[in-house]
Amino acid sequence: MSYEFIICLILLFSLSAIGTPIAYAIFVGSCAYLWVGGQGIGLAGKVILDGLYSSFILLAVPLFIVAANIMNAGTISDRLLSFCVAVVGRFKGGLGHVNVVASIIFSGMSGSAVADAAGIGKIIINMMVKSGHYTRGYAAAITAASATIGPIIPPSIPMVLYALVSNSSIGYLFLGGIIPGILMGAVLMAMNSLIAIKRGYEPEESVPLQELPKITFNAFPALLMPIILLYCIYGGVTTPTEAAAVAAFYALILASIFYRALSFSNFYRILVESARSSAAVGLVIGGALILNYIVASENIPDIIAGYLVGLDVSPLLFLIGVNILILLLGCILDATTLILVIIPLFLPSCRELGIDFVHFGVVAVVNCMIGLITPPYGVLLFVINAVSRIPLGEIIKEVIPFLFVLIIALFMMVSIPDLVLWLPRQFGYEG
Amino acid sequence: MENIKSRIIHAFEIVAALMMAAMFATFILQVTIRYTARAEWIKEIFPFLDPTLYGWTLDFCLLMWIWMVFWGNGLIVRQRDHVIFDMLYTSVSPKIRKWLAIISALIIAITLLIVIEPTWSKFYILRLKKTATLSNVFGDWIRVRDIYMVFFIFCIAVSIRYFYRAYYVYKNSAEFDLLYSDADEINSSSENKNVL
Repeated sequence: MSYEFIICLILLFSLSAIGTPIAYAIFVGSCAYLWVGGQGIGLAGKVILDGLYSSFILLAVPLFIVAANIMNAGTISDRLLSFCVAVVGRFKGGLGHVNVVASIIFSGMSGSAVADAAGIGKIIINMMVKSGHYTRGYAAAITAASATIGPIIPPSIPMVLYALVSNSSIGYLFLGGIIPGILMGAVLMAMNSLIAIKRGYEPEESVPLQELPKITFNAFPALLMPIILLYCIYGGVTTPTEAAAVAAFYALILASIFYRALSFSNFYRILVESARSSAAVGLVIGGALILNYIVASENIPDIIAGYLVGLDVSPLLFLIGVNILILLLGCILDATTLILVIIPLFLPSCRELGIDFVHFGVVAVVNCMIGLITPPYGVLLFVINAVSRIPLGEIIKEVIPFLFVLIIALFMMVSIPDLVLWLPRQFGYEG
Repeated sequence: MENIKSRIIHAFEIVAALMMAAMFATFILQVTIRYTARAEWIKEIFPFLDPTLYGWTLDFCLLMWIWMVFWGNGLIVRQRDHVIFDMLYTSVSPKIRKWLAIISALIIAITLLIVIEPTWSKFYILRLKKTATLSNVFGDWIRVRDIYMVFFIFCIAVSIRYFYRAYYVYKNSAEFDLLYSDADEINSSSENKNVL
C-alpha cells in the first residue's frame, strides 16, 4: 500500500464521517491520491467520464427508476395490493402475508427496494395499522423486511451495478435471483405466521369469492408486467437494458391510458424526480469508477487474493467470512457503496478459489439488501420512518425476528450454490 | 428575487426532465426499429423507418446519461438527495455540526475548482476524437470533448453552490441548501434519498 493511497483513504473516511456526500468524499480522496502520486488530478474527471460513457448496462439504472416511479404514481401498486388482499388476506396474520406477497410481485416489476417501501409499503402500513390487529412497529418492520426482496427478483438495479464491477452476465444474474427471492419471501411468511399465532393476530374479513374475478381483472395488466419483462430478456426480444425501457413504457401506457391515473404534470414530476435520483446514483457510480481505478493500480484485490490463497481457506469458509464482513459493514454503509467499492475487492479472490461470479453476486446483493434493514444505518428503515412517521425505535425492535430469518436464508444460499445456480443452468449457464 | 430563483430552478429541472424523456424515447425507438427492420416492406412504405438511419440511438442514450448525471448533480440534486453517511454528523451538537458542514462544503468547492484546469488540459486531446455515431445527429463538428463539456458545468455549479453553502451555514445553521428553501425541506420526505 503506497503512501498516497493511505492519504486517499484517510481523506475519504474523514470526509465521509463529517457528513460529506460519499461521491464527493471519494472524488476528493482520489484527487489527493493522483496529486501526491504525481499523476495529475485531471485524470479523475477523465476516468469517470470514460467509464460512464462506455457502460451501456448502466443505462438500465435511470430507466428502472422511471419505471418504478410511474408504477407508484399511477395506482398500479394499489391495484396489485387489492389483488393480494383478496388472495392471501383470509389467512391468520393475513395482512402480513399480503405485504410479503405484494412485495414479491412488485419485485418482478421494479428493481429497487426503496421504491417498494415508499410505494406499496406506505399503503399497506396504513392498512395494517387501520385494521387494528397489528402494532404500527410490526407493520413497518414486515414492510421493511419484505422490501428487501425487491432487487433480488429481477429486474434489479443493484445487480446491474454488480454486473458492471464484475463483468458478469446480467441475464444470468437476474435468473439467479428468482429462487433466492422466493426463498426470502417464504421465510418471512413463515416468521409472520409464527408471530401471528403467538400474538393472536386475527385474519382479515375474507373478500367474497364472487368479487375475485373483478379484482383480478383490475390487477391483471399489472400482473402481466413481470412476465413481459422476463420474456423480453430471456426470449431474446431485447437486452436487459432495453427491457428496462420497455417496462417503463408499459407502466406508462397502463397508468396513463388503461387506468387513467397519470396526468401530464404528474409525468413531468416523475421525470424530474427520476433524473434527480439517477444523477445522485450516477455520481456515486462515477466515484466508484475512479476509486476502483486506484484500488486496481495499487493491486489491492490481488494482494487480498494472494493472502487468502496463502492461508489455504476453503471456498465455503471464504464465502462465510466475506458474508459476515458484508453484514457488519451493511450496518454502517450504504448498499451502493458496498456493491461498487467493497465487493470488487473480493472478486479476484473468488476467481482464485473457484467461486462462481453469479453465485457470489446474488449472495452479495442479498446480503447488501439485508444491510438496508440493519440498524443503525438502514436506508429502508429511514424511508419507512419518513413516509409513515412511525418512530425508528419501534420499527427496529420488531424487525429483529425478520432479520434473523433473512440471515438464515442468506446462509442457505451461501452453502447451497444450487439455490442460486440451478435456474441459470437450465438456461444454458455454464458455471 | 425568490421568484427569479424559483424560475431558474424550474428551467434547470425542465432541461433534466427533457434529457430523461429523450433517453427514454430513444430506447423505445431503438427497440421499435429493430423489429420494423425485419420486414422489408415497412422500409418501402415508410422511408423514415429505414434502420440504417438509426445507428446513433445507443450513442445518443449514453450522451443523455452523462449529461443527466453531471447536469443533475450540478443544478438539481439537493444536498439531501446525496448518499451521506450522517451518523456522526447528526449526533454532534448543532455548533459542531455547523463547522463540519462548513469544512466539508469548502473542501468540495475548492477541489472542484482546482480540477477544472488540469481536467481541461487532459480533455484537450479529445477535441480530435470523433464519436462513434453522433455526427449523424448533430453534424460533423461534434467531438468527444464536446460531450464531456458538461463536466465543467458541473464543476463550476457545484463549486458555487458549496461556497455559498459554506457562507450561508456560517451565517445561519447547517440545515441549508442554495437551490431549495427550508420550507421545501420540511415538506419532502427522504423517498428519493436512495434508489436501491
